[in-house]
Amino acid sequence: MSGEYLAFFCLALVAIAGGVLMLNLTKVVHMVVALVFTFVSIAGIYILLSAEFVAAVQVLIYSGAITIIMLFGIMLTRHQDEGYSTGGFLRKTLIFLAVAVFGVAVYFGIDDLDLGGQATTLHEKNTEQIGIALYSKYLIPFELTSVLLLVALVGAIILAKKDNEEAKK
Amino acid sequence: MELETLLQYKWGIMIPEFIILGVATILSLIDLFMPSEKDRRLLGWFAFAGVMVALISLVGLLPVEVTSILEDTFRLDSFAKAFKFILLAGAALVILLAMDYQPAEGIRYRGEFYYLFLTALLGAMMMASSGDLITLFVGLELLSISSYILVGLRKKHVRSNESAMKYVINGGISTAITLFGMSYVFGLTGTTNLKDIAGRLSAIIDMGQQYLLALALLMLFVGLSFKLASAPFHMWAPDVYQGAPTPVTAFLSVVSKTAGFVIVLRLMIYMFSGTPAEGTNSSSMLLSMQDYIAFLAGATMIIGNTIALKQRNVKRMLAYSSIAHAGYLLVGFVTMSMFIVDSIWFYLVAYLLMNLGAFAILQVMTDKSDSEDISQFAGLYHRSPLVAVAMGIFILSLAGIPGTAGFIGKVNIFLGAFVTEPAHYVLAAVMIATTVISYVYYFGILTQMFFRPAVEQTPMKLPLGVMIVVIFCAIGTIVFGIIPSIAYDFLNQFEHFGDFFS
Repeated sequence: MSGEYLAFFCLALVAIAGGVLMLNLTKVVHMVVALVFTFVSIAGIYILLSAEFVAAVQVLIYSGAITIIMLFGIMLTRHQDEGYSTGGFLRKTLIFLAVAVFGVAVYFGIDDLDLGGQATTLHEKNTEQIGIALYSKYLIPFELTSVLLLVALVGAIILAKKDNEEAKK
Repeated sequence: MELETLLQYKWGIMIPEFIILGVATILSLIDLFMPSEKDRRLLGWFAFAGVMVALISLVGLLPVEVTSILEDTFRLDSFAKAFKFILLAGAALVILLAMDYQPAEGIRYRGEFYYLFLTALLGAMMMASSGDLITLFVGLELLSISSYILVGLRKKHVRSNESAMKYVINGGISTAITLFGMSYVFGLTGTTNLKDIAGRLSAIIDMGQQYLLALALLMLFVGLSFKLASAPFHMWAPDVYQGAPTPVTAFLSVVSKTAGFVIVLRLMIYMFSGTPAEGTNSSSMLLSMQDYIAFLAGATMIIGNTIALKQRNVKRMLAYSSIAHAGYLLVGFVTMSMFIVDSIWFYLVAYLLMNLGAFAILQVMTDKSDSEDISQFAGLYHRSPLVAVAMGIFILSLAGIPGTAGFIGKVNIFLGAFVTEPAHYVLAAVMIATTVISYVYYFGILTQMFFRPAVEQTPMKLPLGVMIVVIFCAIGTIVFGIIPSIAYDFLNQFEHFGDFFS
């Protein structure tokens, strides 16, 4: 068992445990903390795949920004509501069966998969390469993403804004 | 990249997109600086004019050969041109509807209403003309996120809030599934360019990798079926259609669905039609997965048409009918004949005309009373005969009665099921049976309109925008129903989309 395999095993375990905990915890703040475990261990997996830049972005944006925003959102709103589960036994069993079938199907797919040779130059200047690709080949989707962010911003404002015109009058 | 390299690309082929983007930006700025009590109707006309100019510029681009910018992240081929016509025309009509939308509690954020339609349209247009997974996905998300916001725009309306919430959650799940499927394809090929993907996939003969590809195909299809509102991702449709503002419902059922078919056709035909399955035995992955997709198409038709039977809320009924139509369109996709793109294009045009017309009249009927019950239609013929006749035309076309565009579209798809070898007898039978079932609920509306006494006698007046939409759609439905050759002459210039792979 190599060190890389061991590291991957631990990170994957933490990632899955974080996800499962997020689903099963009842307090929202706890859920967010569980989510942080998943985000950070996924960043670790990116490093194992020699994608340092993506790992840094993952930590900055997911574990940093998104988690903080979520915590602020929870703090600034009512958070007494505790999660409760819905759906009867039959429904849960069916969903579990569906997930299990899908899991088995994917397992058969990736078990003994022969992907041919492995890439050896993964770690060479990959931040620079991402930058060049982003601003040359992928210019159109990049610009389109800015429209997407604008739309999301406008939407967040108009959906969350309090219409207090009555109060003004 | 140097500026000269950037400028040598033919950016002219993106003119329709630039126009839509420009109009949306200007609208958002005007809306920001306009005093809040001013009427926003003018902005609506501006948005409409922008879409019309984009439509005209698209006509100007018709003779242009296949051109691509930046390694296919944007490409203009005949497929893109043909479907952008549907998207632009649909959006123009929806904006006309939106101008005359007067819900009971009034609508704030009129300006946003218009330019979010435009950004959603921009996303759909980018999906229509892209040969790269990343652009396709960003376009898909732009369309989805704009529609999530549009659905929730009636902030004081509980149903609208509920439907927006359901739409976001379902949309998020479906996006995750789509992306998971895409990631397998990317992992096996190492590129996001559809042409390169097709090239590399056709060389894969390892059974293990083919199994993964088949999984990826199914995941992509299931994820994208959210946009089509077909099984297994159809359950959001009735709630969202019912809760959303009526013009948004019309947009979701026409433009968004068209965009869904665009991306399904683009991805499936490009990536999987030339990919071998089961070692090298079968020529095409798409053909060997045909049965699964056929099953989903059949299920969609049956679910849509049978559940529609018990609906009394007309908007909900039209939602189920829209699920059923997605099923008919999927039959056209499953048959994989030479002419799938042609027949799906024609059906989408017919569907646009009849569905938008029906929603236009429904909007006026339900705005006043805030009730969408079928009894609202009682005695419409006695109140305003012309409106009732127009609605009759749309309903007959939705049901697929000869003499209307819906009939021609359905016949094309039906016959397409027999052209291929082996013929799809079961699917064709399901299609006929469910069409007959659909007569029950479509004709239910007709009996209400023509044979029931009217509750109130005041004649119904259509506002200008709605009037234009109704007249345009009614004429279109009849003309394409009687002389469909007009549409086919138009399609002939694309030569069955032969430049799809070039």
